[in-house]
Amino acid sequence: MSVFVARLRALPSVQVTLAMALLVLGFLIAAQIAAQGPRIRYSSEERSPLIDTALSLQAQRDSLKTEILGLRQQIGQLEAQDPGAAESLRRLYADLEQARLAAGLIAVAGPGLAFRFEDGSPGSGVDALVSAQDVRVLVEELWLAGAEGIAVNRERLAATTAVIDIGGSILVNSAYLAPPYLIEAVGPFVEFVQGRVERSGLSLSVAQLASVDLPAFAGTVNPRFARPEPPGATP
Amino acid sequence: MTGRHVTPGASAPHQADHARRIWGFHRLASRVSIAVVAGVLGILAVGQFRGQAGAPALAALSATDLTQLIANLTAGNDQLRAEITDLRDQAAHLTEAHDRGETTVDELTGDLGRIRAWAGLTAVSGQGIAITVRGQLGGDGVEDLINELRNAGAEAISVDGVRIVTGVVVAGAPGALSVENNAIGDAFEIRAIGSPQILTGTLTRTGGVIAQIGTTYPDAQLTVTPVDMLTLPATDRTLVPAHGQPRL
Repeated sequence: MSVFVARLRALPSVQVTLAMALLVLGFLIAAQIAAQGPRIRYSSEERSPLIDTALSLQAQRDSLKTEILGLRQQIGQLEAQDPGAAESLRRLYADLEQARLAAGLIAVAGPGLAFRFEDGSPGSGVDALVSAQDVRVLVEELWLAGAEGIAVNRERLAATTAVIDIGGSILVNSAYLAPPYLIEAVGPFVEFVQGRVERSGLSLSVAQLASVDLPAFAGTVNPRFARPEPPGATP
Repeated sequence: MTGRHVTPGASAPHQADHARRIWGFHRLASRVSIAVVAGVLGILAVGQFRGQAGAPALAALSATDLTQLIANLTAGNDQLRAEITDLRDQAAHLTEAHDRGETTVDELTGDLGRIRAWAGLTAVSGQGIAITVRGQLGGDGVEDLINELRNAGAEAISVDGVRIVTGVVVAGAPGALSVENNAIGDAFEIRAIGSPQILTGTLTRTGGVIAQIGTTYPDAQLTVTPVDMLTLPATDRTLVPAHGQPRL
């Protein structure tokens, strides 16, 4: 043992440093290759304009969403300024506020859970990429567990929200979302079965939080085909 | 070409000078090696951190996926622009009414009716499709159908007479399906209001959701029928959050 230590001490510090640096280098190269393994990267030049177009459309979308939220807030303030102070009007305002809250058009905060859902480590299985189906299963479990509102990467889920695959990522409310997925839910969760997802080889971490902030749904709420039935009408 | 070599018996100062030069060369080579390794290390580390920072992963999409994404974003942005136009009109009417000192009961009532219908709090009617399901189908299959209907633009959906709103899940194994604590039999109907052509086309396309369900549940029979007028009930749920508070 003492011979080994003596030999080690005899080594020039430069060699030890170089050996350690090469070790870290090897580790980083391996990590880089592993990270690029599951999600194939395409490199043809013809995709560049498509990527630029998609980025531009996403920027437009963010801007349009911000404008919608601003207009809804403005309308809410205008309604509240209505000169009529009759009891019937006040009730109407209150009903509107409740309907907007029920529809997810108002941001809410409350106790809940936050999940980080991401691809499993390479080698954990061919199905180790998070798909739209995986996100939907987790969302369904949360609804069944009593969630009052859910958002995926800050996209609030509404009655018309679809979660679909696009390449190795997902679309939610037409928004392009890439992993890792942050799934936040407000609700009175007592227990949640985590094992079901972990068994699939995916990586799921969860935190129970005193307050989770959910954004408002910023999509369209103007039906083109569905017309409200008069109150009391039965289908 | 001449080579430098040390002959035995050379003078001691000359040997020491030669040793210093060799040692100096080794030190320089080591430093250069460390510098090169450190440089590559830095580039890789930055690449790794950037890759993990959640930057848009559009580079991972194929040309086909990008085209689909662009089509989806374009359609979605058009809908958002239409929503903005409506909201601007609504804000303008409210401002005019406010300036004239008038009440806006009609505006408020219309807005309320529209939001309640969209959220599922009131019954709605319109054209759409009816999907008749017979045979063994699991809850995941029904949820896949609902998701695809939403993707195709369905504005309201019901399963076996129960309105599908946020929080409602059709769950259970084949033969033991339930929705909102109501058991569903082996024969039931899914109704959706929206464009009958788009809804039918999306569901029944080659490799679409019905074809996929047919692979997973070969005993299930699904029939899609366009309908001119459907009426869907309101939900029984209280959708206003009890634990979540408005964050204005």
